[in-house]
Amino acid sequence: MSHDTHHAPVACKTELAPERSDLGLHRPDRSTGWTDWLTTVDHKKIGILYGAFAMLYFLIGGVEALAIRTQLARPDNDFITARMYNQLFTMHGTTMIFLGVMPLSAAFFNFLVPLQIGARDVAFPRLNAFSLWTFVFGAFVLNASWLFEFAHLAGWLDSFAWHKALVYTDFAPANGWFSYAPLSGTFGANGQAQRFTGVGTDFWIIGIQILGIASLAASFNFICTIINMRAKGMTMMRLPVFTWMTLVTAVLIILAFPAITVALIELMFDRSFGANFFNPSAGGQPVLWQHLFWIFGHPEVYILVLPAMGIISEVLPTFTGKSLFGYPIIVFSGAVIGFLGFAVWSHHMFTTGLGPVPTAAFSLLTMAIAVPTGVKIFNWLGTIWGGRIRFTPPMVLALGFIWMFMCGGFSGVMHSSAPADSQQQDSYFVIAHFHYVLVGGVLLGLLSGLYFWFPKIFGRMPNAPLGYLGSALVILGFNLAFGPMHYLGLAGQPRRTHTYHAGNGWETWNMVSTYGAYMLGIGVVIIFGNLAWTAFRGKKCGNDPWDGRTLEWSLPSPVPEYNFAQAPVIATRDAFFEHKHGAKKIGAENDGGEAGVHMPSQSWMPLLASAGFLFAGFGMPMMAMGVPHAGWVVIAGLGVLFIGIWLWALEGPGGYMLKTPAPSGAPAPAETVAH
Amino acid sequence: MSDHAAAHEAPTSTGIDHKKLIMWLFLASDCMFFGTLISTHLLYRKLFPAGFTDAEGHQRFIQELFSIELTSFSTFILLMSSFLMALAVSAMHKGQLKSFRRNVLGVILFGLIFLGCQVFEFTHFYHKGLTIQNSVLGSTFYVLTGTHGTHVAIGVLWLILLYFYSFTGKLGGHMGALDVEVAGLYWHFVDIVWIIIFTAVYLVEYLGPYGIWGSGLPAAVK
Repeated sequence: MSHDTHHAPVACKTELAPERSDLGLHRPDRSTGWTDWLTTVDHKKIGILYGAFAMLYFLIGGVEALAIRTQLARPDNDFITARMYNQLFTMHGTTMIFLGVMPLSAAFFNFLVPLQIGARDVAFPRLNAFSLWTFVFGAFVLNASWLFEFAHLAGWLDSFAWHKALVYTDFAPANGWFSYAPLSGTFGANGQAQRFTGVGTDFWIIGIQILGIASLAASFNFICTIINMRAKGMTMMRLPVFTWMTLVTAVLIILAFPAITVALIELMFDRSFGANFFNPSAGGQPVLWQHLFWIFGHPEVYILVLPAMGIISEVLPTFTGKSLFGYPIIVFSGAVIGFLGFAVWSHHMFTTGLGPVPTAAFSLLTMAIAVPTGVKIFNWLGTIWGGRIRFTPPMVLALGFIWMFMCGGFSGVMHSSAPADSQQQDSYFVIAHFHYVLVGGVLLGLLSGLYFWFPKIFGRMPNAPLGYLGSALVILGFNLAFGPMHYLGLAGQPRRTHTYHAGNGWETWNMVSTYGAYMLGIGVVIIFGNLAWTAFRGKKCGNDPWDGRTLEWSLPSPVPEYNFAQAPVIATRDAFFEHKHGAKKIGAENDGGEAGVHMPSQSWMPLLASAGFLFAGFGMPMMAMGVPHAGWVVIAGLGVLFIGIWLWALEGPGGYMLKTPAPSGAPAPAETVAH
Repeated sequence: MSDHAAAHEAPTSTGIDHKKLIMWLFLASDCMFFGTLISTHLLYRKLFPAGFTDAEGHQRFIQELFSIELTSFSTFILLMSSFLMALAVSAMHKGQLKSFRRNVLGVILFGLIFLGCQVFEFTHFYHKGLTIQNSVLGSTFYVLTGTHGTHVAIGVLWLILLYFYSFTGKLGGHMGALDVEVAGLYWHFVDIVWIIIFTAVYLVEYLGPYGIWGSGLPAAVK
């Protein structure tokens, strides 16, 4: 490429001639505004949408949590009914795991993975959009149960014939996030089986099923992207650790989700078509549900935590000025955690009476999984050791992660001992344990990641004092909320119980815990508010404000839609840091030529196909409610899904050429790239 | 696929096409899917080896139900469809569109025969008293084999669409062959899963004097 193109203006995509599909439909490449966001196949925009929806559901799940804590603040409280309490704790767990943490992790996968491996997009951009919208619609279906519940409480449904015929009227899921059979299933023999619960369970089944499809599609896409789309020289052992953890997480998802998918299908057949998979009176084994659920459920724990571990492994080296201590060991430990994660599910079921041999085996394997986790902790400590530590909001949250996650890990090792576990089972001690892992671990990690990459995503720097304040409130409030639960649990307070009597000695610490929960809530609101403000109005910052180490920091902020003007050629791990401070420079490959780079076309079809799930997802529970003609809604939904996929196939991959401001020779440091 | 995209098919890090890789990943996931279903069936067979009770309250053996000749025939048909699928993929790689169409039509036909056998089998079993509601065996059997049948039906639909797409003149070259090969991977997988289901659900019931679970119909009576 000649030198005169050095500062050639970036071609605007709205000036391009539109491409027609086989059916003569225009691809919406030239659109802006709403249409652009609804049809986007750009991994960065999809990542932002994932993040925005995840933060919304974090807030909804947080309100549910605060309602629970308000109810438990005082003994014999009647702030909410027992019925509402069951629905709240079920939806709190389900929302936080499937609609909060997983999509927020997916937001990071989307935004970062292509940038970190030096690619222009994911392997299947439209499939990526399909994953996003399927998640969004699955979340709608799950939360629509609340709308029915509120309509029921307000009495708006009373006049319908189908409503009068209902035996159970809990419209929001009320079985706990694990929906144990037989409570979630049926009882009674041979064709006269009755359900134990209302249609909330049907909303839960179909909602989780749809969310599973979204996660599976995204994981196929990301494994393919990471394995197949690495820049030249980006060998597997030069991948940034976050990308590595994304890969391990995606492998866990594709191997673990089929188990829950089958379990949900079986449960759906039990409830809707009178099958006997988990029906005890017909010989079904409810414990099978527990096995199938936890074969998925335990890897799910690592699906939640590994991305956060990846984030921490990027943040710590950046703010200590050192490369990650023991990179191969960290990567290997992550993979071992993923592998062992499939062999420990029965430690959730010690009290079901598995017999001494399985109990001992699962106990042993559970203890073994603490080893790679501990190795990671020591590696992070080794990274900090002797480093020039810079305290920034992401670093404070990352340090909080190490400390809090370690506490959660310690109580986890306590559970691995079966005799101890049978004392702790179903008590608040368990609640304390997994909130230390999921809030103290995962949430702090994800918040750290948000503060760390926000300047890259929006080109604006979040306010630091507000960041410190939010982090301090979150860490303090979290410890106040969940620390006392260790004591409460060992003192006998049971889980999933809407109230307790005075005189058990639980009053003080429950009150403290509720204060802590509100402090945590205020902290999260401050952090989210700070970030939302930053996205639109924050102070602009440079392209590399943290002295970053990986490829994404070599790009302008916000990142242009083509990512890399020229495909980078990598010579070392921590490529950009070496490029700035060391001898090994990032090379460039002039892959676009005079024509520019190839960009994928936008499409309506992923949105259309996903909308099929929305119809089918609403139709299934309504069928279970006995709403007339609801079955047709399901069929219409599946039809829309088919038409969406068919038109998607017919429109072909498509694409357009974009001229980029390609500098001659090696790419200039990000500050000098024309933008 | 449009020539536009074909012209810009970027080389991948591993040399494996994206579409082929993602299909392998999907199949890995589907292994776990069928693994879970088959395990459910086998667990319940071990727990309730005696079969099921029909509507009149009679104890029925699973061997009274199965027509091993019919299922062997449909298994053979499905195996042969895989052979034709391999020929279709090979034809596409050589750019022989007519041969591709002939073979893929054969696959579609054989797939439909298999589905027809399954519909017949389900109806037959239903009339003999096995329903999804009256026993655990009915639940696991119909859901497992029905899920496999759904996979076959999706495959048939996919191949029918590919067959008609080949008349638009856009199915060709490396990308066209890849599209057919990916459909082929799916078809072979569904076939292999059936071999496992045929063995684990049907054949083992005829092992030993009382079936592998030990409480079947005595071999002498059959």
